[in-house]
Amino acid sequence: MPAAISPISAPTLPSAIRPAGESPAGSGFQDIFSSAVAQVESMSQRASATVASFLSGEGEDLHTVALATQQADLAFEMFQQVRNKVVSAYQEILKMQM
Amino acid sequence: MSLFSALSVGASGMAAQRARAELLVENMANAETTRTPEGGPYRRKDVVFESGSVESPFSSVFHSQLDAPVGVTVSDVITDASEPERRYMPGHPDADKDGYVAFPKMNPAEDMVDLMGSARTYEANVAAIGAVKDMIQRSIDLLH
Amino acid sequence: MIDRLSGQLERYLDLLSARQKLVASNIANADTPGYHTQDIDFQSEFQNAATGTPNVLEVAGLAMKNDGNNVSLDRESRLLAENALRFNAATGLLRSQISSVRAAIKEGQGS
Repeated sequence: MPAAISPISAPTLPSAIRPAGESPAGSGFQDIFSSAVAQVESMSQRASATVASFLSGEGEDLHTVALATQQADLAFEMFQQVRNKVVSAYQEILKMQM
Repeated sequence: MSLFSALSVGASGMAAQRARAELLVENMANAETTRTPEGGPYRRKDVVFESGSVESPFSSVFHSQLDAPVGVTVSDVITDASEPERRYMPGHPDADKDGYVAFPKMNPAEDMVDLMGSARTYEANVAAIGAVKDMIQRSIDLLH
Repeated sequence: MIDRLSGQLERYLDLLSARQKLVASNIANADTPGYHTQDIDFQSEFQNAATGTPNVLEVAGLAMKNDGNNVSLDRESRLLAENALRFNAATGLLRSQISSVRAAIKEGQGS
């Protein structure tokens, strides 16, 4: 599990291919992406904090550490799936343009 | 709020009961001792228990009562200062000028009951350490 | 991922942990003069969905010995076993939840 996730800039879709009726700013792949990144980042930080607290003898329960790290792992795995889907969907769309 | 501190608490309980049992056995073994290096007959000894914080080697900060693990220590050993029991035995090597020998003041039945109680509490502390250890292991299993 | 059930289970583990610590202290002090049995109000701490350290209280209704100690080894031994078993059950449930979520994520991989 990576210690920190460097922000990934979502691919921006050219306005021409956005379906009509969709608001220009906001919805779409970018949003899904940002929210997934944010969730992974916050869970990862929380997990690191619990580990640090446990190691420094501040009395953090081991089960809290275990659950926090598992949640961070799951969030990351989920994020990977989302990223893969977004990228492949984007590539599909690009193909259709050609 | 770590369970590790509960292990130290259980260990302190075991240590305290062992100290208590050792003194009880010493009392019983010396029930008839009329001569000691300090002079006079053996004097009965008793432990005094006190509850208190037992620091775990890994702990650093205590935020609340649940964080400061309350164990037990032997705060004192009390030697019986009362008058020894005097028995009339003129032929005894430790007899005084009146023919009386000073014997330890004992209550062997009470000591025996205390010893059994001490063993029971000791076992309960052992069980506590086992149960806590099991819970910590389950927490570790959550990581897999 | 953090659904309400696993949040509750984590709180359950927190409370069992706290309770077991107090049981250990009670057992260690079973023969300490003047020591009073300590516990938490498990049900109300759990149902109120409170967070943070639970309140420690003294247990009422226990027989007092001559030296002011009211620890009942029977009560503490029973609680010791019960807490450990409940903890076992809760961690088991969490493990299977974690596996399920992981499996669901992996299943999405192929499609």
